[in-house]
Formats: sequence, C-alpha cells, structure tokens
Amino acid sequence: MTAIPSAERALRRGGILMTVGLVLVAGVYVRALAFTPEEATQGLAQKIFYIHAPSAWVAFLACGIVGVCSLLYLFLKEPRLDLLAAASAEVGTVFLTTVLVTGPIWGKTIWGAWWTWDARLTLTLFLWFVCLGYLVLRGAVDEPGRRARYSAVLGILGALLVPFIHVSVLLFRTLHPQPVVLQTSRPQLPNSMLVTLLLSFAVFTLFFVGLLVRRYAWARLAEARAEREADDADASR
Amino acid sequence: MPSGLAEAWAIAAKDLLLEFRSRTAFLSALVFTALVLAIFNFARDPTAVSAADLAPSVLWITFSFAGVLGLNRAFSLEKENRAIDGLLLSPASRTALYWGKTLANLVFVGAVEAIALPLFALFFNVPLLDVLGPLLLVIALATVGFVAVGTLMSSMAVNTRFGEMLLLVLVLPFLVTPVSAAAEMTAKLFAHRPFAEWAAWLKLLAAYDITFAVLCTLVFEFTLEE
Amino acid sequence: MPMPPANGRFMVAAYVAAAVIYLGYAAWLYWRTRRH
Repeated sequence: MTAIPSAERALRRGGILMTVGLVLVAGVYVRALAFTPEEATQGLAQKIFYIHAPSAWVAFLACGIVGVCSLLYLFLKEPRLDLLAAASAEVGTVFLTTVLVTGPIWGKTIWGAWWTWDARLTLTLFLWFVCLGYLVLRGAVDEPGRRARYSAVLGILGALLVPFIHVSVLLFRTLHPQPVVLQTSRPQLPNSMLVTLLLSFAVFTLFFVGLLVRRYAWARLAEARAEREADDADASR
Repeated sequence: MPSGLAEAWAIAAKDLLLEFRSRTAFLSALVFTALVLAIFNFARDPTAVSAADLAPSVLWITFSFAGVLGLNRAFSLEKENRAIDGLLLSPASRTALYWGKTLANLVFVGAVEAIALPLFALFFNVPLLDVLGPLLLVIALATVGFVAVGTLMSSMAVNTRFGEMLLLVLVLPFLVTPVSAAAEMTAKLFAHRPFAEWAAWLKLLAAYDITFAVLCTLVFEFTLEE
Repeated sequence: MPMPPANGRFMVAAYVAAAVIYLGYAAWLYWRTRRH
C-alpha cells in the first residue's frame, strides 16, 4: 500500500496555510500593540482581549468539531472522522491553553486576583481537562478501532458536558455575588478597536485551519504507515 | 418484569456477591471516610470556622472519594476476573449489562454513604433529621449522576494501559455538576433555607442525571468489543 | 479624565506567553511532520 497522495497534498497545503496564518497573527500583534488606541479605564492590559477572545472562539470551534466528528463516527464508522476529531482535539487544547494563560493575566488587572471562578474561564478550564483526558485516552489505547470508538464516546460525553458546566457556573455566580475590584461591562468598541478585533478573529481562525489540516493530514499518513508496517510484519511471517 | 431488568439485577447481584465475599474495598472506603472526617475536624480552628460552614463541603468531598473508590473497586474486579468476556457470551443485552454494573456500583457507593452520613452527623454535630428527606434525595441524585458516568468510563479504562489513573482523569470533569449542585443544596438544607433558593440546582441535577443516564446507556455498547 | 493603570507589563506577559504557545506548537507540528 502506498502513501495517500491527497493526504500528502493536504500536508503541504496545511503547512502553507499555518505559516501564512502565523505571519498574519504577527501582523495582528503589531496592529493591536502599535496601531490600536489604549482603552480608557483598563489601560494597556485591555489589549490582551485581542488575543484572548479569538483564541477562545477558536478553542470552542475546535471542541465543536470534536463533538460533531465523534457523533458522526459512531454512526458512520469512518476512520477519517476519528482522525479529524483527534487532530481538532490536539490543536484545540493548544488554543484552550492560551485562553487559560491570557485570561488570568488579564483578570489580575481587572479583578485584582489571578483566578475568580469567572464563568467563562471556569468552563474553559474544565473543557481543557476533558480535552486532556481525550488525548490521554487516545495515548492509552493501541488498537485503532477501539481507540476510535472510545474517543468518540468521550467526545460526545464531553460535548454534552459543556452546557451543564456552563449552567453550573452561572448558577453559582448569580447566587453568590463575587467581590470585584473593577466592574467591567462590555465596552462599546470604537471603530479601530472593532476592526482589530475582527481582523484578529479572522486571522486566528485561518491559523487554526492551517494547523488542523496539517495535523489531520499527518494523522492520516501516520495511520497509513502503521497499517503498512503491520501488513509487512504479517507478510514476512 | 421485563427481561432486561431481570438480567440487570442478575448481573448486579453477581457483582455484589463477589464484593461481599472479599469486603476489602468496602472496608477501605469506610476507613477512608472516617479518616477524612477526622482530619477536617482536627485541621480547623473551631473558634474561627464553624462546623456548619464547613460541613457541606466536607460531606461532599467524602462522598466523592467514596464514589471514586467504589468505581476503582468495580474496575479492578473486572480486570481480575476478565468477567466481562463471560458476560458478553451470555444472552444479556448490552443495556442490561450496563445497568447491572451501574446498579452494583450504586449499591456499593450507597452503602458507604449510608454509613458515612451518620458518622458525619456525629463528628460535625449537624442536625440532619429535620432535613433528612430532601438530603437523601440530593445524595441519591448526585450519586446516580456520578456512578452512571463513572461506570461507563470504567468499562473503557479497564481496557487501557493506565487503567485506574485514566479512570480518575476521565471522570473528574464530569463530577463538577453533580457534586457542586449537591454541595450547594446541602448547604441550603443545613441552613434551613426555603426550597425556592435551591430549586434551580435541583432541576440542574435532575437534568444532568437524565441526560447522562440516557446517553451512557446509548453509548455503552461502543465500549465493548464486537 | 483619570489616568489608566500602568499595566503594560501584564499586556507584554500575555502577548509573549501566547506567542510562545502558538509559535512553539506550530514549529513543533511543522518539524515533526516534515518527513512522514
């Protein structure tokens, strides 16, 4: 069995896309830091928003892909769905990590504390745990068919867990008023800030797609190679 | 009685009989419970922190650990006996298999909780009797939610390299909703707050239980070999 | 108008941390998948 040409093409395209995406992210960095006005009440730290919010969007998109692919896999049993889910989980974990790192840094300046069990950050934290569990599970199962089934089960359960954690945290916060140093309502963004934010969303999404395609293509090629090696081992017996 | 239910009971009975013969897991869960209760008592300054403030958290930490121990027990039983292969050859349906195991785990965890609760009342001087009904409901709902998911995870973890550690890693995020809801409701109950103040949590927990009981039942067959 | 707080350090820390994470993962992914 030869390597899959479409996957090799995807690998190359993914590489280009992610490099372009990365360069564009650098461009957004420059725009956010040098060409976007400073916000009046929060100061420079508010600019963390231009990294934090798009990262959160991408992370949830990635997890959504894992959930959908997991569900489809259980019905269709198509291995490519499993590989896509796995790729999305890995890349999604990277974005979740960024949200969890930038969030508290920003939070320290707004709330005066690194961690305040804020609804969104807490949800992100538990989603991060689920994703990590997903990756550990995959690492712990060798047989591809079983690995795919188990991953799909966890993927669906994890996806359904998200609304419950969200409601749990919201319920907790509405019933327990939290001490806040500075109240921050969503500010009305003046045009230049809005543009930076929208650009950031677009650019991060592009970067994510590049990473996802590359990671998925590589998973397909690795799988094909493993099958080849297994076949060779069988043949030489 | 539909055949599925009878099968489930049979599977549960087998599991429980095995457990009853050795009793080690049950005893270790009890000892651990007593230890946790004692440590919490010794670790706090009674003049600074009242028992009533700490009580709900302590209770649910204790119950969570008891639950995890219960799942580990079921897990190692499976591993030792490779009992699952025998069960798969039996005419029992996959659903009956899942509910049999879940039932056995529920009885085990429930038994530990049944002994831990009076111990807790004793050590913490919490007047349980006037809220006993609602409290038992809360405990039952949280336990069902936790055990339903845990049994499913256990059936996967048993076939993996890391085993028990993986079980813990997989289950913990799923504990958030049932345990936080239960702890909140327990706190309200001990403080004799009106039902309206914790009704939302009850609905959340009930929704969680229904959602995951159904979901776990549906996906359980995918954790078994063909 | 009151002065905004001087928290540029936090901004830099967050931007650098995010850059390290993204650059690090992208580089690792790219090199690890160079030869399949």
